[in-house]
Amino acid sequence: MAEPRRWYLITYDIRDPKRWRKVYALLKGYGEWLQLSVFRCLLTDRDREQLRWELSRRMDPVDTLLVIGLCGGCVERVRAINPGEDWPEEPPPFRVL
Amino acid sequence: MSPETTNPRPAVVEPTLRVHSLHALAYCERLFYLEEVEEVRVADASIFAGRRLHARLEQEGERVEMEVSSEGLGLHGKVDAVRERAGTLVVHEHKRGRHASGAEGVEAWPGDRLQVGAYALLVEERFPGAAVECRVRYHQTETTVCFPLDERLRRDVVAAVARARLLRSSGVRPPVTTEERRCARCSLAPVCLPEEERMGSGAERPRLFPEDDVRQVLHVTTAGSRVGRASDELVVTPPEGEGEPVRLPVRMVSALVSHGAVQVSSQVLALCVEQDVGVHWFTSGGRYLGGLGGGSGNVQRRLRQFEALRQEAVCLGLARRLVSAKLEGQLRFLLRASRGDAEAREVVGSAVRDLRALLPGCSEAVSLEVLRGLEGAGAARYFGALPYLLGDEVDPRLRFDGRNRRPPRDRFNAVLGFLYGLVHREVEAAIRSVGLDVAFGFYHQPRSSAGPLGLDVMEQFRVPLADMPLVASLNRRTWDAEADFEVTSEHVWLSKTGRAKAIELYERRKRETWKHNVLGYSLSYARLVELEVRLLEKEWTGTLGLFATFRLR
Repeated sequence: MAEPRRWYLITYDIRDPKRWRKVYALLKGYGEWLQLSVFRCLLTDRDREQLRWELSRRMDPVDTLLVIGLCGGCVERVRAINPGEDWPEEPPPFRVL
Repeated sequence: MSPETTNPRPAVVEPTLRVHSLHALAYCERLFYLEEVEEVRVADASIFAGRRLHARLEQEGERVEMEVSSEGLGLHGKVDAVRERAGTLVVHEHKRGRHASGAEGVEAWPGDRLQVGAYALLVEERFPGAAVECRVRYHQTETTVCFPLDERLRRDVVAAVARARLLRSSGVRPPVTTEERRCARCSLAPVCLPEEERMGSGAERPRLFPEDDVRQVLHVTTAGSRVGRASDELVVTPPEGEGEPVRLPVRMVSALVSHGAVQVSSQVLALCVEQDVGVHWFTSGGRYLGGLGGGSGNVQRRLRQFEALRQEAVCLGLARRLVSAKLEGQLRFLLRASRGDAEAREVVGSAVRDLRALLPGCSEAVSLEVLRGLEGAGAARYFGALPYLLGDEVDPRLRFDGRNRRPPRDRFNAVLGFLYGLVHREVEAAIRSVGLDVAFGFYHQPRSSAGPLGLDVMEQFRVPLADMPLVASLNRRTWDAEADFEVTSEHVWLSKTGRAKAIELYERRKRETWKHNVLGYSLSYARLVELEVRLLEKEWTGTLGLFATFRLR
């Protein structure tokens, strides 16, 4: 059994290009960039808290952040409504390139 | 003036303690020891959430942090806030959780009391003559607990500091706490393994699940690939004309394994070290060259390892159990694979009898040489019987006729050698992450290319992680004798597709879960490898003979 992970949609609005680049780079290390200022990440509780802590150090009070946790049902509905988008069930434990 | 200060060369001053460590001390002495002395720190979700609470308080102007320290008290730390209220200095501490409930209603937890008490003493020393009061704010229940800095609290803090110093100077890890509930909320439980430690008393206990690593192992096998870094992503670029770069967030990766001619940039190495991602190198033929990751600090652990393994009796005891485990694993595999097949039983029968006869000798062997002899005899019988476990439909070219290596001369040995390389990598990575030194073992002789401890621990995993899946996959006819191998007159290698198959076989096997026969709970083989190394470390830090006790069914 592994640590449970959940999908999160993370969106932000950053008012300064310098901070924006830092936040963007940070999020690249946690998940997949979907659209302008929207990421999707598969995170454990620990990852989520670490990410929020790291974000809080890079962001300013004028910036905004929205972290949306998706339950299993939500993910199913995303899959059903946006069939073109690929939301993997569970990434494989290894990759061979 | 005290006599010490008149001395022109004062005695060496003991470094001050973090006030925060008193909180750990009040919770569990073993936790304190692991964190402060062995410097094992595992940040879990609540620790990051706590940091964020403090950052938020700062933004809301709620917080005036102050650093305080005192040689006299032997403490240093950061006070969340100190405010003056009607001539009294109030020391504030913020906690994310809920308050304790005592006889008179709302109360602070003992650890919190001690922590704030220590801050209060430090503040009092900094502002002599001022009255000091303590406050703890519990954010989950939105309650504040106030208490004065009275004589009892002073005594408690001084006693705690004395106790902490005593623990810090001793080389012995304190025992597991008797209050099991605490372990369930402790971030260090997967390192401390309290339940395995309590096994001795035998009673049924709730189990703290040691967590699997949920991140991916990334194998780069295409010759000519380059692994680079773009912000916090790993970018694997195949050679020109062979497809697009693949990008992976670094936090999704637990290990980067490079096979053969693969370039890994130094920026990637730095990122991997920082993010606790192991990096390992194999030759293109599948020999494990070495790896990177973990292992900084851990001086105490290594010293204990060296001290323990310098004693011949300890080494011999461990080696006896290890060889027994290996032989019994081979024996059980032969029995299991020939189950219900009368013909195979008959052929395998004599090997089984001989292996059984060797077993009692293992637990009584008088020296490592004797053990090596027994192990060799066992291996000969086992590999002699192994060909009979392959079904009739298996391609004759894939059949097995005795173990050979460096280089492998047939297809079976080529895959087996490759799988052993992967097991070796797994074991070395586990040894590094536990903080032991691979270069100092108890059974194998030091050899230039491989650390003896890795080879030692690996012995018990050869059968379950390599032999068994390989025989099963051959019987399922998953191998292609032509496309999966590169054959020359001298040696046989895996081709690119063959290597991918072997990696897949191994990685899938690693994720299979299995119920531990002694500890009584299910875990994956991947986790079992690390658990065995932790149990090995416990052999010389106080507990029991749990190392090398797992057996196949």
